[in-house]
Amino acid sequence: MPRKPSATTLRGIGGVAVLAAALFVMNLTLPDYYLRIVNLIGINIILVASLNLTNGFTGIFSLGHAGFMAVGAYTSALLTIAPAQKALALPQLPLWLAGISLPFPAALVAAGLLASFAALLIGFPVLRLRGHYLAVATMGFLVIIRVVLTNAESFTRGARGISGLPVFTNSWWVFGIAVLTLYLLRKLVTSAYGRGMIAIRENTVAAEALGIPIARYRLIAFCTGAFFAGVGGALLGHLMSVISPNFFSYSQTFLLVEISIIGGCGSLTGAVVGSLIMTLLPEILRNFEGGGELFGIALPPMYGLSQIILASLLIVIIIFRPQGIMGTKEFSWSMFGKKRELKKG
Amino acid sequence: MKAKVVMLGVLALAATLAVTGCAKKNNVIKIGALFNQTGDQSSLDVPGLNGFKLAADEINKAGGLLGKKLEIVAIDGKTDQTQCTNAASKMIDVDKVVAIGGLSDSNYALAAGAIAQAKGVPFVTSGATLPTLPDQVGDAFFLEPFGDNIQAYAGAEFAAKDLKAKTAYILTDKAMDYTITLSKYFKERFTKINGDKSVLLEDTYQTDDVDFSAQIGRLKNLKVQPDVLYVASDPSKCGVIVKQLRALKVKQPVIGGDGYDTPLLVSLGGDAANTGVYFSTHASLTNPADKVQNFVKAYNAAYKTAPENAFAALGYDTMYLIANAIKAGNSDKSADIKAALAKTDGLEGVTGKVSYKNGSRVPTKSVTILTVKDGKFDFVKEVLPE
Repeated sequence: MPRKPSATTLRGIGGVAVLAAALFVMNLTLPDYYLRIVNLIGINIILVASLNLTNGFTGIFSLGHAGFMAVGAYTSALLTIAPAQKALALPQLPLWLAGISLPFPAALVAAGLLASFAALLIGFPVLRLRGHYLAVATMGFLVIIRVVLTNAESFTRGARGISGLPVFTNSWWVFGIAVLTLYLLRKLVTSAYGRGMIAIRENTVAAEALGIPIARYRLIAFCTGAFFAGVGGALLGHLMSVISPNFFSYSQTFLLVEISIIGGCGSLTGAVVGSLIMTLLPEILRNFEGGGELFGIALPPMYGLSQIILASLLIVIIIFRPQGIMGTKEFSWSMFGKKRELKKG
Repeated sequence: MKAKVVMLGVLALAATLAVTGCAKKNNVIKIGALFNQTGDQSSLDVPGLNGFKLAADEINKAGGLLGKKLEIVAIDGKTDQTQCTNAASKMIDVDKVVAIGGLSDSNYALAAGAIAQAKGVPFVTSGATLPTLPDQVGDAFFLEPFGDNIQAYAGAEFAAKDLKAKTAYILTDKAMDYTITLSKYFKERFTKINGDKSVLLEDTYQTDDVDFSAQIGRLKNLKVQPDVLYVASDPSKCGVIVKQLRALKVKQPVIGGDGYDTPLLVSLGGDAANTGVYFSTHASLTNPADKVQNFVKAYNAAYKTAPENAFAALGYDTMYLIANAIKAGNSDKSADIKAALAKTDGLEGVTGKVSYKNGSRVPTKSVTILTVKDGKFDFVKEVLPE
């Protein structure tokens, strides 16, 4: 049934166009450091939005996200590094892998698929668990991934890490994928599947009584989340140009969970808001940590300031707004109705 | 749909840029100091930065370089790879540093070094000792300290010759390049001296482990007990492991690398640290040489405390190494500093002489063996491994 595109669709397209224009201007004018931060915001949006699908919408409290990132990052690294470079750095690779060099988009898809596959393997036994049992089990997955990465030296160079990943990641890739991620996840959570996932979160027994296949829905959410985590991990690897098992540690997982909690774990908009705050704030605070002068006043070095402020922020938010900044609300154009009018006037 | 929110963020970012944008000054030479001031690495990196700054102050008091003053841009790496790369990127793109010094662990130096390499800015690591690092990162990456192979050789030779050990046990932190490399080279040299079967058991743990009773149990189950224990650990674990070994009545001498050169060895190890613990490191601060004692005095005057460990001296030497290259190349351009660094030959420092020979960017330096006596580090001997 063909029909005219709705106002929301048009606005969405307009928003993407504005974002693209902003990225274009930033790429022309900003020094690399700021572009790097902008890219990290985008990567965090991808990672946290996908974490919110499992942790927020479906109520599977997973601490394994960094593990999926690792799977994605290593997959993409092994698929994109030029054969000549592999011969030097990874001489023990099996032949079929040593000779391969895929274009970036193909490597990203492979990264996501392999992360998804890992989620499928771990999901079958683990998703029967609930609450903190599930959280601990997914953390176990993270431990396994790190041990494998550290020990599978012929594939990963172990703890030394792989360096010289081609620096493919730029703001176009990052925000292209971020917008796509948000769009697809939004479609998913507003679909019948998504409603089912939310029903499972709210009341598993009632959802089961309504005929929702709990295990299958949870597995779908888990694997979808892992897919985007894998893609996000690959993007991060190709931004850093170096990856090692230490990159994908508990602190990485907890950073994502923190962003998710601050932004609001039951909302995709929350992922965006949280990523903006939690990526920008430490970088802004960095300017004050080293001491120096601010408006003519000499400041002593205050290293650790940003960690303390971020941790305090987390505590304050948990006390006063335990559902996070966005709660379960999503962005809608009506939220900005007044502001838009002001701009026009 | 969320684009609007993203846009708002972009605006916020643009606003911060406007506020934090830096004014460029022409009469200074900016040098980046990238040290982990917080987190696990801070017990090495805080003294490192202190030493680095002290050297810059001395150079400025003596009139600066090329008629300009040095300005240190110090950013906290937070013991996190992403943060280290952000910091390196900020120093280069925003603060416009011409060279960077710092970091005491190869994991972080690898990540930050890649950023500097891509921009052609020389990076001198003050404490990371992985010998393959400069080759892995590129031609702008230099080591101020000796490589891990050298200090592990020194540890093995000290064990075999001075402690008369015929057999050894090796415990390695499996999650770190640093510790894996140490154990590998210790074994290589020790078995070369004492024969293939002289290493009785090799065991591993992960950095996050806190209980080592399983490893110690396996050690005690050996029918023949080893003469020495080589425990390759990072700064946060050496004290803990030594304490647990002694608590379970394992009495053999413990040998480690420069990760032990931290106040944590004594504060976490307690009395156990006094019972035959030896480690290889970069310098002894009790060394009576003028160069060393002047440094100790200056450090005391500046920070009201004695240098905490050799990393303070390494930070100090790193700044002088960069300064020497600026002077020798008579330029404060990154490319010239890089070229001049590569030609460094026989530069005397607190931690020994630095020369980069045959295109190598890892210096050959002597290794100092220290032990702990009454809770203080004590000089044992200096070893120049074969």
